[in-house]
Amino acid sequence: MIAQLRLWSTYFKHALSSILTNRLIYTLSVGTIAISLFIFSAFVLLSVNVKSWIQGWGQTLSISVYLKDGIDEETRETIRAAISTLQGAEIKGYISKEKALQDMKGMLGSQAGLLDGLTRNPLPASFEVAFRNTDRKSFEPKRIKEVLEKVRGVDEVQYSEQWLDQFKGLLDVLKVAGLAIGGLLCVAVLFIITNTIKLAIYSRRNEIEIYKLVGATDWYVKAPLLIEGALQGVLGALIALGVLSVMHLIFSFKVIQVFGLPLMDFVFLSKEYTLGTLFLGLLLGLLGSLIAIGRFFKF
Amino acid sequence: MALEDIDLRIRTGEFVFITGPSGAGKTTLLRLIFGAEPPTEGQIVINGINLSRVSGTKLDLLRRKIGFVFQDFKLLSRKTVFQNVALALEVTGEKGSVVRKKTHQMLRAVGLAAKEEAYPIELSGGEQQRVAIARAMINDPLILLADEPTGNLDPDITREIMVLFRSINLRGTTVVIATHSRELLRNTDQRIIVLHRGKAFE
Repeated sequence: MIAQLRLWSTYFKHALSSILTNRLIYTLSVGTIAISLFIFSAFVLLSVNVKSWIQGWGQTLSISVYLKDGIDEETRETIRAAISTLQGAEIKGYISKEKALQDMKGMLGSQAGLLDGLTRNPLPASFEVAFRNTDRKSFEPKRIKEVLEKVRGVDEVQYSEQWLDQFKGLLDVLKVAGLAIGGLLCVAVLFIITNTIKLAIYSRRNEIEIYKLVGATDWYVKAPLLIEGALQGVLGALIALGVLSVMHLIFSFKVIQVFGLPLMDFVFLSKEYTLGTLFLGLLLGLLGSLIAIGRFFKF
Repeated sequence: MALEDIDLRIRTGEFVFITGPSGAGKTTLLRLIFGAEPPTEGQIVINGINLSRVSGTKLDLLRRKIGFVFQDFKLLSRKTVFQNVALALEVTGEKGSVVRKKTHQMLRAVGLAAKEEAYPIELSGGEQQRVAIARAMINDPLILLADEPTGNLDPDITREIMVLFRSINLRGTTVVIATHSRELLRNTDQRIIVLHRGKAFE
């Protein structure tokens, strides 16, 4: 056990000494890995945020229930009662025909005069309904629309789902692009690490030959090379995450400044994603080393 | 085929020369004993262990019991004399204090105590070969194989190195030296195996 620990400390020493000897190549390699993993994790970060924004908006989904003209008070109360039975529904307000016209005039501003020519008010009265704390997955606006439109006195139900669907489309595009770019970058990172380790093996081939000559096991020769690969990968991932967190800080500040939307949180990668990126770096490093070792050693 | 139909038995503690013209198969025979390449036919048994039945780590561990010395010394130019010798012990996972103690002892035994911190390039050919012998001997091997160990050395240094090999042999290590130097064989009473066209003669 103690002999094993001693050997591991020797493996690390050998790996570090090799890194120091070939420091320029390693710096370039770690830099390239960092850039690749940064691009990859930036895509993940963007996807995570778009998803969280959509989820955030989904929690306060709103619908407008437009009423037919000329319905009586009783019918209106029946509609109000029907809305209240819906899970998570909260009536934010009743907008009468007059109020709707007034609002429109307000929106038109100086062009409000256009409405003066109307002989009758064409705008319907409506209930504005918000759905709070509703799980987006179980929220079915289409079904709500169908149910409410069957209630007597309801003319039409409109909901914001259509444009949310478009955002979901954007999220899908981000995911596919992220996966494609991420896949390509992983291949590139693998290629870089493999080549760096190959160079390390070339520069140490005399040393390796002598180690084998004095009875070093295969593992004694291979372990430092695996450590070198793993260190490159993890170091690259750490730098990528560091740069990403700095960019995130700057960018989240700008979002608030530019759009004035303090509620639109620009979250950082979760612990799982952060560890996942580190693990990806480690995995690519080990895999790159294994490929290089496999090509060179046939003991 | 470099060697054919070789039937050879070297006893424990023996001092043997293997000789023959260039290309006779001297190096191949040493490499076969070292387990660096497998025989196409037949068996090689060292200390009761059949080399064709061991591989991987077991073969590596067996190699620690076989020292190997080369004509070109095979020293690491970026390591000091001390580090070059110590690495043969380090690969075994030996304790640092033991590595230091045994390396000092071994370098004293080959007369290089004063040059521990020197780099190979600062040493003469004879001194470099002493470092290589110290490295080969530090794990107390059963066998010491040497491939043209004096090929690059002048006669005086050759004599010194041969004295060193004899003293190693006197301590019980089997020594097998491959050489084509007639000078080396002229005044010896040791066993000489001649390789000619891949066959062994005594």
